[in-house]
Amino acid sequence: MNKRIASLAVMGAVLAMGSQVATAAPDWSKVPKKEINVFHPGVTPIEWATKKAEHSGSAGLKKGETCAGCHDEKGQLSLDFKRLAGKELEPKGAPKTMTFPVGFQAAYDANNLYVRLTFKAPSGAADPSDKDNEVKATMLIANDKVPQGDQVGCWATCHQDARTMPGADDKKTKYVKDGAYDLMQWRSAKGAKAADGTVTDKRAMEGGKAGVTADGSKAGDTYTVTFTRKLAGGVALAEGKSVPFGIAIHADHASGRFHHISFGYKLGIGADGDVKATKL
Amino acid sequence: MAESNKTGFWAMLRRPSAKYSLLTLLVVGFISGILFWGGFNTAMEATNTLEFCISCHEMRDTVYQEYKQTIHYSNRTGVRAICSDCHVPKDWVHKMARKIQASQEVWGKIIGTIDTPEKFEAKRLELAEHEWARMKKAESRECRNCHSFEGMDTERQKLRGKKMHDLAKKDNKTCIDCHKGIAHKKPKGMKEDDEDE
Repeated sequence: MNKRIASLAVMGAVLAMGSQVATAAPDWSKVPKKEINVFHPGVTPIEWATKKAEHSGSAGLKKGETCAGCHDEKGQLSLDFKRLAGKELEPKGAPKTMTFPVGFQAAYDANNLYVRLTFKAPSGAADPSDKDNEVKATMLIANDKVPQGDQVGCWATCHQDARTMPGADDKKTKYVKDGAYDLMQWRSAKGAKAADGTVTDKRAMEGGKAGVTADGSKAGDTYTVTFTRKLAGGVALAEGKSVPFGIAIHADHASGRFHHISFGYKLGIGADGDVKATKL
Repeated sequence: MAESNKTGFWAMLRRPSAKYSLLTLLVVGFISGILFWGGFNTAMEATNTLEFCISCHEMRDTVYQEYKQTIHYSNRTGVRAICSDCHVPKDWVHKMARKIQASQEVWGKIIGTIDTPEKFEAKRLELAEHEWARMKKAESRECRNCHSFEGMDTERQKLRGKKMHDLAKKDNKTCIDCHKGIAHKKPKGMKEDDEDE
């Protein structure tokens, strides 16, 4: 009898936990979706973007302008894709599809931030060298110490001497000169764990403090990736704050810099932002 | 008296004419003046044509080929800016100064300073820097023969153009501050100091 009560209690507890998790997951149909266009950036690290001889928009950056402020025109990317795909900025070869949209949704509750990405990953990668993962989806969130973090998105981590850049050391990862980013990544390989990482003076794919979990699935040709992370932990998020973020998709087994990335945007958590997270 | 007895070319020029009337001298002088002036300017204008500029392989095989790919050569409206429109001032004084300076380029042609593609590439940055400095000093005068902030409706530009032009106006920038390498290939090794005066 006692055993039966005990097992019922355990079952009840499991169900209660399960229902808690179920209530925590947002009803995504009620969360607004913003379309963010990601693109193949070629070899345009932060050193390139801030050098006037290469990029006349660096003058705007110096004055506090954001990358998206000039290049995201009412949701459409205003970029010279021919130049980005050309030999000078992409010596190894550009992917067949230079840009595609990613549906971006965000929600939060008292403890967690939830992010959902929906996209069709294009084939035709220029460097399909990741044999394990057909697709990877990544999100970086910058803290307020990152130089120009609220202007340049992920570019502060992207350097000309980092791996897969032409002539760079293959062991040198992305890094940031000051401040830190939280890195969340979902990988499509069967059984792959979500990366709860950071970018500081180097990139770490684990050891983050955000308690990241990630789920992904493919229905037809559309991927849906959901991240859950703690608000507190890593880059401290809280209601009333807006934080700079960027996303990246490695499509068709792409690796290293051969990703499609977004410009930097602001995620408003109960605050103003390019994307406002829905309060649950 | 002594003056009129002197012989030689210079003395002849200085001696008053007893043979020709003042009217004849004036008319002949006037017509000769027109012919000389017209001839001089015609010859100078001939050096301002696209054909003249690309009559040398140094220009024809390099910068001309690059320019042919740009909007200043071919565009929707059919307005073409040729070499001299950008590289030679329109007003006479500055044009003369530039033409005199260009005599150095004739010397370069004679001694073959850039007579191979390799030599040209080796010199590309230096040559470009000279031209950028000239344009900067003149506040992009040649660009502004056609373009002006006053005539520019930034609302009709792409967002990035609008933002940069609004910023440039505010900071008293001039065209060449940003628009380098728009008609020819950008040289490698451009210095950042050159950019931010």
